[in-house]
Parts: sequence; C-alpha cells; structure tokens
Amino acid sequence: MRGNNRAAAFLLATPFLLFLSVLVIWPTYLGVKTALSRDLLSEFEVTPAGLENFQMVLEQPQFWQALRFTLLFALTVTIFECLLGFALALVFDRKFPGKTFLFSVTLVPIMIAPSLMAVMYRLILNQNIGIVPGILQKVGIEISIFDERYIFWALVTLDALQYTSFAFLLIYAALQTMPSEVYESAAIDGASPRQIIARITIPILKPAIAIIAMLRLIDSFRTFDTIYIMTGGGPGTTTQTIGIHIYKTAFITGDFGMASAMSVLLVMLLTPFMPFIIRQFRLDAK
Amino acid sequence: MRKSRNLWATTVAGGFGLFFLLPIFGAIYTALRTDNAIASGPFVWEFDREWSHFRNAMGAAGYDFASFFQNSALISIGTVILTVFISLPAAYSIVRLGFGGAWLLRIALALRILPAVFFIIPFYKLFTNLGMVDSIRGLILANTFVNLTLALLIFASAIKELPYEIEEAAFVDGAGVFRTLWSIILPLMGPVGVLTFIFSWSDYLFAVVLSSSEATPVTVGAANFVTSYGVRWGDISAAVTLSILPPLIFATAAQRYLVKGLSAGAIKG
Repeated sequence: MRGNNRAAAFLLATPFLLFLSVLVIWPTYLGVKTALSRDLLSEFEVTPAGLENFQMVLEQPQFWQALRFTLLFALTVTIFECLLGFALALVFDRKFPGKTFLFSVTLVPIMIAPSLMAVMYRLILNQNIGIVPGILQKVGIEISIFDERYIFWALVTLDALQYTSFAFLLIYAALQTMPSEVYESAAIDGASPRQIIARITIPILKPAIAIIAMLRLIDSFRTFDTIYIMTGGGPGTTTQTIGIHIYKTAFITGDFGMASAMSVLLVMLLTPFMPFIIRQFRLDAK
Repeated sequence: MRKSRNLWATTVAGGFGLFFLLPIFGAIYTALRTDNAIASGPFVWEFDREWSHFRNAMGAAGYDFASFFQNSALISIGTVILTVFISLPAAYSIVRLGFGGAWLLRIALALRILPAVFFIIPFYKLFTNLGMVDSIRGLILANTFVNLTLALLIFASAIKELPYEIEEAAFVDGAGVFRTLWSIILPLMGPVGVLTFIFSWSDYLFAVVLSSSEATPVTVGAANFVTSYGVRWGDISAAVTLSILPPLIFATAAQRYLVKGLSAGAIKG
C-alpha cells in the first residue's frame, strides 16, 4: 500500500520533474557555462574563457549605468505603485455607487500585455497625433515627452498604468481579511477615520504591503518589454535597463558570453530576496 | 445620506479608471478615425465609415496580422493545456501524497527569483539544437516554463484547502463520480487557466528571441508594426485594439478566477 502510494506520487510528478530537468536545470547549466566561455555570434568556435567575461562586464560603464537606472526605476515605480494601490484599496474598502463596475475597470491593465500597453502609450504620447501632447498644448505646455528630461517620468507613469492594479488587488485582498469588528469597536471608542487608518489599518497591513512591495521590486528590476518598445533604451543608453542591456549584448552585439555573465550577476543580485519569497508561502506539505 | 457621502469614492475610483483606460481609448479613437483626421491632429474627428484600419489590420493591406493572431491563440491555449497537465498532478503528488515534501515547492518558489532574461540565451541555444526556434511548440515550452511556478502554487494551495471528504465523496458516490470530479477540478483550473492564458498571450521577451516569422505572436507583431510602418498609426491602433481583446474578454468573463488566482499566488510571471 505504502509503496504503491509512493509509486503513484512519483508517476504524477514525473512530467514536472522531466520539465524541470530539461527546461530549468539544463538551461541553467548552459547559462553558467556560456558565461564562462568566449562565445560570439561571429565566431563559430566557443572556447573556455574563465572569468574573463565577468571582468569585462564589471569594467563596462554601460553595465553600471544600466544597473543604476534599473535600481532607480525599480525603486521609484515600487513606491508609487504601492502608494497608489494602497490608496485605491482604501477607497474600494467601502460601499459606493458603481463599485462593481469600477472594480472591473481597475483590473483591466492586468489583462493587457505590457508590450501592447507600451504601443498604445506611445500612440497617446506621440508628438503629432497623441491626445496627451494635444491636451498639454491646449493648456499652453509645449514639451517633448520623449526628451531626456521627461522620459524617466513618462516611463514611470507607463509602469504605474500597467502595475498599480496588481498592487491594488493584492493590498485589497489583504484588507478583506481584516475582521470588521476591529473597525466597529474602534469607531465606537470614538476613533476618527483618519486615526483608524493610521493606528489600525496601516499597522495590520504592514507585512502584506512589505511582501507586495518586494514582489513589485523584483519584477520591476527585470523590466524589459515596456521600456524597450517605448524608447529602445534611449535617448542614447539613458533608459537602458539591465534586461535591455543583456538582450542587446546577446542579440545585437552578438556576445553571448558577456550577456550570460551579466545574467549570472543579475541572478546573484536577486538571490538575497529568495528566503523572503520562500518564507511568505507557508506551503509545507501535509 | 451615507450613499451620497460616498460619491467622492466613486469619483476617485472613476478617475483611476479613466487613467487606466486612457491608452485603450486612445487606440480605439485613432483606429476609428480616417487617415486624414489622424494626420490633422488629435482632436479632429472624422469617422471612418469604411473601417479601413480594421480591414487593413485583418489582412487587406498585406500585413501578416491574422497569422500573428492565430499564433498567439495557439501558443496561449497550448501553454494552458501543458501547464495544467504538468502542474496539477505534481501539486497533487506533493500536497496529498507527500512527494518531495516542502522541498520541491521551495525550489519552485526559488525559480520565481530567476529573471526570464537569464534563460533567453540557454533557451535560444537549446531550441536551436532541437530545431525548435521559430516554432509554436518552442514558444509553448518557453511560456510553460514562465507559468509553471504560479500554476503549481495555486494548485498546491487549492488542493490543501480541499477537504478530504469531498474527494472521498467523489469516488464513493458512484452515480456522480465524473460530475463531482469535474466540480472539484474546474474551480481549481479556473484561476490557473485564466492567468496562464493572460501571461502567455502577453509574452514578449521569449517571442522576440525565439520567433522570427513563422511563430510570431501579436505582441512582437504589433511592436514591429510601430518600427516598420511608423506612420500608419490608424492600422497600428486597429491591430493593437484587436490584439488586446481575447485576454480582455476571457479574463473579464472569468474575473472571479483572476482575483482568486492572483491573491493565491501573489505572483506574476
């Protein structure tokens, strides 16, 4: 009976284990091996290169620029999206006319491919035909949004457009788990709505928001498609994220070795987050 | 009295809603206007009675958009099927039969940290060797990789919440076995199905690396539109409007599952 069960368990998990070995473990090995090789698209032969790629990456100004930009971008969007998501969750935590419909509207960005969102966003920001420059011109503001001075905030807005809904939904879900008695007794004790938010809601939600912020931080750290479509990393290389830099190094410059070395460094940078992510799901088997 | 006081909430939520929908409004608005109106500025309204932008996008102007659309559909549906096929039995095995213990789930969670970009070069090499570059099969595999962790977690937590009794009843109650099984499995599959569909329809990174023409999905196709036909904003808008529809319709219809899945996984591919 026991052995039978064990055989069944193994059988059911076989597709997963197979997939894990072919598409995770083997590629991970390939990725590390490539990082340790001289591997150029222009050369047929791949030769071992030790840590040469890593040395080249660490000496490359563009790598540090991309790292700095990515970090700044990730921190900025995480802060904005968590604040907006929290505010929106507080709004949705009460009854109001049109709530069901507006809840559905709020979820729409989750359903839209970031790359398609970026194309549409480019359209409404287009200097000649876009609605946004059109409106700005009407109120007397003549700026080029794709200018170096404004592009950062344009990209932050695009990211907020796409991902505030994620933050909102998760914070809202956490808010729903709070027992309503807490509010009622606080209200009976004469606490004002503001006091309730500051003294009760925020402290209780703190752990949930911390996790959501971390997830957003990790995800925004690997932003690729939205910025790639909006600016291609430009003007110059000023909006190049690590992801874009890796992609370009591999498939435009044709240096697989260096691109892989950057990928390995990126993984090492994100590894410290691993225990936090694992701890948040208490999914120990029964 | 109380209701009227909360109108401010409607206003705030509505303001956010307008902000979220602005790009979509922009795309539909542009797609519906004539080329003349588009060229004359953002506030010139002239309805295009011919619907020429939509007809161009669907093939009248010789774009390959219809095949991009078909590719996206095949990739997304294939990914949903493969993801469920791999993760549902595995989750059952791990949670109910104790396979691998918490250890396997930890590995799956750790995968969440690995950025997809780390895998583009190994996948490119692996798929080149297997002759799967620019194939639907290849992109299904890549997207399954992206969605597997989330699916496994959602299934695992759902199966954990499932009382044994329901499961037993399903097997004991001979008459309604299939119906009962179905009523257990369907609510489990809903969240995974919806999220996997959305995320694989949304994939851009793997599609841009692993497809060149035959297997190109709408995301890469639409982005290429912008660079190749830069001035044809009407056609681009129509193409994008059509591209966002399938996940939008599907996920709105299954909104309950979307919310459930996201809060269970607290994760995104």
